[in-house]
Amino acid sequence: MSENIKTRFLIICVICSAVAGIVAFQMIRLQSTESAKALLAASENYQGESRVIYPDRGNIYDSKGRLLAGNETSYEVALDLPSISQPETVASIASSVLGLDYAQVLGYAKMNPSETGLYYQVLDNFVSQDKIIELETIKEDYRSRTAKGNEVLPNIDGLVWKAYSQRTYPEGTLASNILGFYNYLDRTGGTGFFGLEEAYNSQLAGTPREVFYVYDPQRLSTVDEVPPGVTLILTLDREIQAMTEKQLDDAIAWSGAEGGTIVVYDPEDGGVISMATTPRLDPNNYWEYGDLFPNPMPYNSAISKTYEPGSVFKVLTMAAALDSGTVERDSRFQDTGSFNIGGTTIYNWNMGGWGDVDMTECMQYSLNVCMSYLATEMGPDIFYSYLKNFGLDRKTGIDLGGESNWPMKLPGDNQWYEVDLATNSFGQGISLTPIQMVMSIGSVANDGRMMAPHLVKAMVIDGQQYDVDPVVVGTPIKAETARTLTDMLVNSLENEASVALVDGYSVAGKTGTGEIATPYGYSSSETNASFVGWGPAEDPKFLVYIWLEKPSISQWGSETAAPVFSEFVSKLVVLMDIPPDNVRMAGSNTTSGQ
Amino acid sequence: MLQAYKQAPWRTQVQWVGIFLLVVVALATVAGLYLFISGRSAATGRRIQNLESELVALHRQNNDLETLLGEIRSERALSERIDSMNMRPLTPNEALYLEVPGYVPAEGPSFAPPPSVIEKRTPVLLPEFTSTFLEWISSKLQEGLKSPTPTSEVLP
Repeated sequence: MSENIKTRFLIICVICSAVAGIVAFQMIRLQSTESAKALLAASENYQGESRVIYPDRGNIYDSKGRLLAGNETSYEVALDLPSISQPETVASIASSVLGLDYAQVLGYAKMNPSETGLYYQVLDNFVSQDKIIELETIKEDYRSRTAKGNEVLPNIDGLVWKAYSQRTYPEGTLASNILGFYNYLDRTGGTGFFGLEEAYNSQLAGTPREVFYVYDPQRLSTVDEVPPGVTLILTLDREIQAMTEKQLDDAIAWSGAEGGTIVVYDPEDGGVISMATTPRLDPNNYWEYGDLFPNPMPYNSAISKTYEPGSVFKVLTMAAALDSGTVERDSRFQDTGSFNIGGTTIYNWNMGGWGDVDMTECMQYSLNVCMSYLATEMGPDIFYSYLKNFGLDRKTGIDLGGESNWPMKLPGDNQWYEVDLATNSFGQGISLTPIQMVMSIGSVANDGRMMAPHLVKAMVIDGQQYDVDPVVVGTPIKAETARTLTDMLVNSLENEASVALVDGYSVAGKTGTGEIATPYGYSSSETNASFVGWGPAEDPKFLVYIWLEKPSISQWGSETAAPVFSEFVSKLVVLMDIPPDNVRMAGSNTTSGQ
Repeated sequence: MLQAYKQAPWRTQVQWVGIFLLVVVALATVAGLYLFISGRSAATGRRIQNLESELVALHRQNNDLETLLGEIRSERALSERIDSMNMRPLTPNEALYLEVPGYVPAEGPSFAPPPSVIEKRTPVLLPEFTSTFLEWISSKLQEGLKSPTPTSEVLP
């Protein structure tokens, strides 16, 4: 190689190295300056976008797996302003399909993003899938057209839509007092109100997660699936709930009552099988709540409305008297028709005396005087101790939002007087919710074990189903006492040939007529009519509590609530697959199914 | 004598050119491979993005179908059908109960396995797709360094 070539080669090498060095230096310099760092940071904004993923709200099913609350797709329709080429076409289609104001949409569509800084304008929310299909069809139709000559084809570029989930209740008003509602119109801050939607709001909602979606497929990382909210499976039976609501509506119409409540409860495990109250809201249109429930009307009277239950309470007084040994089933009582206590005279409902009666007859004739005697014999300490053990001084803790209770007056309180011991014994001067009555009397139907009332039977959490175990709240009375009292109440219904009897089935039960307190004393013309009953008596599968508010055809529970109980239970046993006593007894010695 | 062992100038030039071309070809090969791999990776990434979008859409479709089914099978819809077919609820006197020995009534609905069944989840992207070559080599070396599980001789 000649020196000349060597020199040239060397020069070229030096020049190339110098250029490479300068490039390398510049690369390093550019990346280390403040502006370069700022540019690098700004570029991150274009790498992807951060989104908050809201999980689908958990579904709610009845005990047979039928959907009571779910989700369906809804859409947000908006304008992507930089993409709009034909504002008039966009406005025309948006107004004709979505029913929006043409001038307003056109105003948005003609806005210049570089001037206004507005790039995205929401036009409508909660648009149904049908409307979106219509828009898609129009879009495809425009795209499929071929221009002839200089013809300008129409397009709706810039009209965009985004899907999201919307809460839906396919059964409408059915069980709405139990479900509550979710204010789905608030897409980011929605929450559950009343019932299960409130009580299980955080579980149903799941955990929203912020996820960074990268645009660059090279930098793609897996996005963990956001698990949906917890799914609830209830103890409630939809068919029984529907029948209960219909029966309640019929009973209110027939009796002229202002309102009412029917609760069906499984005394063995505390599961609520159905719970109907009035009025009922369609949770799909939850914004009608204010009109339907003017203050202070509770959303669910069964758990939120207290009242003086009247004679149905005698079941608890008698349970306490028997269990404490104050009296026995066959103990006798001389009913003179009046009982003096604390300067006040207590009378029976008919103002008469019933003479020599046993404890079953005390219940059968619903004698206030007899109950007052029992409470006095027990004394306030024992009597109120039993009431506390029955859970009457507190909420039941049912898994529904909005439960309330009325503080129980106790000896020593300023508001408690000696006469309260007597009036309380027959359900006056004490305010309770139907669910408190159900739970406490449920212990009589369940061999003394009092079960916490609940609606949720199982939950599906992150792909696994967890059963919810029944909870024993306490054992306020002995099993023997419970069975004795149940037998007494079966006999009392049969002895008086009550209209509450159910053909073919042995049921225990008690009527109740509670006078309503007014600012001027108790009103005898306006009453709360109630009935509590359970069956089959030897192995109770249901406890039914009926409350009719101020019935107009009769003030007595025995003439209003009792016949409703009979009619209701005759339908209930069919839906619950409970055979009549004779069939059940015949097959009780073998393992069988009906 | 010295001139006899010296390479001819054109041979030296050819060797340099050859080396240069070899470097160029090597670089081109590496660049080509890089492009090929990154192209495939980008295409796969885009496919995963599409699949994720499809998954979300399918979830929504499932919800919609379940809601639709719920509406079709709702108590109100069924009652209307029952009325249109002139059917009415059974009364207790009309019910016929048959004893079925050994029959166990079905329990409540099952939407998912109980917690005792442990479900092992497979990640969407396996480590083979996310680890670098060096990481792969390192993991293999670590696996190799682990002492093999001693095997016991099976006696007859």
